[in-house]
Amino acid sequence: MTVMVLSGNSAQAHAVRLARVQVVSAYPITPQTSIVEKIADLVATGALKAEYVQVESEHSALQVVVSASGMGARTYTATSSHGLLLMHELVHWASGARDPIVMGVVNRAVGPPWNIGADHTDSMSQRDTGWIQFYAESNQEVIDTVLMAFRLAEHPDVRLPVMVMEDAFYLSHTLEPVDVPDQAVVDGFLPPREAHATLHPGTSARLGSFTGPDRYVDFRFEVAKAMERVPATLRLVEEEYKKATGRSHGGAVPTYRVDDADAVLITMGTSTTTARTVVDDLRAQGKKVGLAKLRLFRPFPNEEIRALGAMVDRIGVADRSYTFGPMGAAGTEVSAALYPSSHHPAVTGFYAGIGGRDVTPHVVRRMYESLLSGAVPEVHWEDIEEEVSVDG
Amino acid sequence: MAKLTLPAQELMFSGHSACPGCGAALAMRLLLKGLGPRTVVSVPACCWTVIATPYPTTALGVAMMDNPIEATGASISGIRAALDAMGEKDVTVVGFAGDGGTADIGIQALSGMLERRTNALYVMYDNEAYMNTGVQRSGETPLGAWTTTTPVEGHEHGKIEAKKDMMAIVLAHHPVYAATLNPSFPEDFERKVEKAKAMSGPRFFDIFAPCSTGWRFDAQKTIAIGRLATDTGVFPLYEVENGRYHVTRKVGSLKPVEEYLHAQGRFRHLTPANIAAVGAQVRDGWEKLLTFESESLVAPTPSAAPTAPPATRA
Amino acid sequence: MIEIRFHGRGGQGAVLASEMLSQAAFIDGKVPQSFPFFGVERRGAPVTAFFRVDDHLIQIRTSITQPDIVVVLDPGLLKVIPVADGLRPGGLMLVNSRRPPAEIEAPPGARRATVDASRIALAHGLGSKTMPVVNTVILGALARASGVVSLEAISAAIEKYAPAKPAQNRDAAIEGYGAVRTIDPTTSPVPPVPKVPHPLPPLPEGPIASRPTTSIHTSSWRTLTPVIHLAHCTKCNFCWKFCPDDAIGFDDQGFPVIKLDYCKGCGICAEECPPKTIEMISED
Repeated sequence: MTVMVLSGNSAQAHAVRLARVQVVSAYPITPQTSIVEKIADLVATGALKAEYVQVESEHSALQVVVSASGMGARTYTATSSHGLLLMHELVHWASGARDPIVMGVVNRAVGPPWNIGADHTDSMSQRDTGWIQFYAESNQEVIDTVLMAFRLAEHPDVRLPVMVMEDAFYLSHTLEPVDVPDQAVVDGFLPPREAHATLHPGTSARLGSFTGPDRYVDFRFEVAKAMERVPATLRLVEEEYKKATGRSHGGAVPTYRVDDADAVLITMGTSTTTARTVVDDLRAQGKKVGLAKLRLFRPFPNEEIRALGAMVDRIGVADRSYTFGPMGAAGTEVSAALYPSSHHPAVTGFYAGIGGRDVTPHVVRRMYESLLSGAVPEVHWEDIEEEVSVDG
Repeated sequence: MAKLTLPAQELMFSGHSACPGCGAALAMRLLLKGLGPRTVVSVPACCWTVIATPYPTTALGVAMMDNPIEATGASISGIRAALDAMGEKDVTVVGFAGDGGTADIGIQALSGMLERRTNALYVMYDNEAYMNTGVQRSGETPLGAWTTTTPVEGHEHGKIEAKKDMMAIVLAHHPVYAATLNPSFPEDFERKVEKAKAMSGPRFFDIFAPCSTGWRFDAQKTIAIGRLATDTGVFPLYEVENGRYHVTRKVGSLKPVEEYLHAQGRFRHLTPANIAAVGAQVRDGWEKLLTFESESLVAPTPSAAPTAPPATRA
Repeated sequence: MIEIRFHGRGGQGAVLASEMLSQAAFIDGKVPQSFPFFGVERRGAPVTAFFRVDDHLIQIRTSITQPDIVVVLDPGLLKVIPVADGLRPGGLMLVNSRRPPAEIEAPPGARRATVDASRIALAHGLGSKTMPVVNTVILGALARASGVVSLEAISAAIEKYAPAKPAQNRDAAIEGYGAVRTIDPTTSPVPPVPKVPHPLPPLPEGPIASRPTTSIHTSSWRTLTPVIHLAHCTKCNFCWKFCPDDAIGFDDQGFPVIKLDYCKGCGICAEECPPKTIEMISED
């Protein structure tokens, strides 16, 4: 184990090196670019023995790794914002073909207007593509999650692709100390890929195929069942990672001081760190507040959210992207997960940090105060001049 | 048995679902005869998606990867990269795409694959329209042809634009080998397949694939139509190896283009003036080709220049 | 409501038949609904189309599994497709065939009708010998045998909506109307329906398909069959070289043999055979 001062993007690249990825393909886009540059360096120096295919678009980047994965190789790509949107067709394809690709996504706003700030609109727009989706809070979590992602993706019970999200600039370009596991430790945790349902030269087989209405649903159902097995498999993978490195990140929904809380805020990505300090401040003032982090967004952690809902009366959900539904994407999912429960906490959706705006302690404190006061609309835009409410 | 002039091996199975008399099916059969079992074929959305039959059957005796319509160039780069990474040697990687998936929506990925010197053979099987969706015009639909989106009614008289010259576009990328092939000339076809197989680096085939359904002729005429296409100069057979042109079927005097056009319902509406225009275009193309051939044999070509790119890369 | 299921081959016009029938029913003042089963139709491959008619707007949007009437545009399909599946008791089977209706296999209790639609279509210049376009003849026959629509409405719909040769198509329909032969189950014993295997695909093994298509017999696509007269065969192998279906093999002596399970009857071998020793013949 070595402690290095790394950016989130470097953490992704080091994870790719340690995972002994065999084929990488990517196309540059701000703020993902330093991942592909770093990987190019690692390949050039021989630190990573991978085929690095430089392509003319993100669409081709994902196609390269889809096809390479279909041949049995361990593969990685990374993108951001418009790049991810251009990939969209292949994002669906990868899960349908059961390709265990790992993709780093640097969450960035979508234009127009052009904006390179942190925003989850890009990956939220891919939430129903059959990919497992993690949102990371720190660079440590980035490197650890990418390594766990390969185990999870390639697990015979799963065989689905994984996205590991990091907030633009708040992680991608932020340097902080990261424990980088030794190669031998990673090799013990992550053996070479055992290829299931891949193509082999010299063998008659077709990967992809087509079906009529009679069979198509069977393939979708297989993906659905694999997705349902993710939570249990993640627990197993995280336990093994802990055994190997001594670290884990608390499963799908790690919580903080929620036990006797009157109100809990649910966050994703980097705003979680800021919120944790606000919880400590408010607790010091005697306010009973707690925090939960949606680390895993797909499959949605229904069980964990229901367990949380059984403990509190007020839940706020901070979304870093706008969706044109009843509330933000995470807020809507949390509400839907809670609906079948006997205990129904009040859920408020907040929009905070859209397009790279800072989610400051002040903004977080206001969200908690709204929740504690009990008099909040269903949906709340934080930190803008004119508050907008949407009728439910 | 008389000596076979083609390899005996069959790596395209019977029972596939191509239309009777399908030129694209014959193209695949002849291609795989020459390439052999250690071949991986990537196929985008096109007639061959369907010809290869639904799950759980496959019509190919080799490995076949499906890919979305515009991504064949990228797919074969990925397949080659995986094979290289996993130490698999002596495998021919093939992209087998229709003309729409190559010349229209797939041209970016094709250009990328050629530019990064992927060690693979890209095949455009050219049936000159979107046949899988039911005969809509593509960039490869020839001048004057009827399709469902270039109708012959009212003031419309078929496609008013010329066919896109994919060979010229590909040659601007300096592939190690590019050739036109026609299943009506199977020995020439097979010679080119075997030549391409022995090479390393980006290679390109434009394979003529008559379509009785879309071109409106009786299925038994597939071979005859293909023969006419070459002998009238509509689809000349040639190859370009490291920039040097070689016309592989020398036609002393071209047959009149009418013979080719009149054999197909898609050209039935053409007036004598239309036919003259098509004929002029065909003659012009043929003469240019002969000029390229004679010039490239004496002068160094761009790809033979010192700045020539490396032959191959994953 | 009356439900009709059409079985044909790609290129015969089954889908167009159901569409023109809709227009005809509308002319008759009824409310039609027609739609094709969108599979992967190729020329010659079996296709299905559906038609419903009622006095008011139809409130169901599914395939037809229990038809009142089954229309078969190609007699060859009887051997390969379970065309009579779900036919309601007392329902009608209308088949394009030279045979009399009493010889048509049908479920017990079914009414049967036949019309030699291929001959009539060719006589009116519709389609080719390999692929006669029989849809309008069948519509005329259907009008008579079922009474679902009037001949006047069928004629008017064909004149307006046939994509080519409207007059010939209309005349063909009128001839079909006159030529159809029907028989009631009470007057004649019904031959049993031949056992057609229902495809029972296995559970998915993942998105990898690895069963060779040689398990699929495409002989049913064929309307004409090649016959090689070996006396004149020079073993030049042209037939083998040019076959898009790899449907030609060789016997011990090196003579070509047609693999009849797979030949789709395209006729390339006959066309390209230098000594012209291959003949395309009709099997029906």
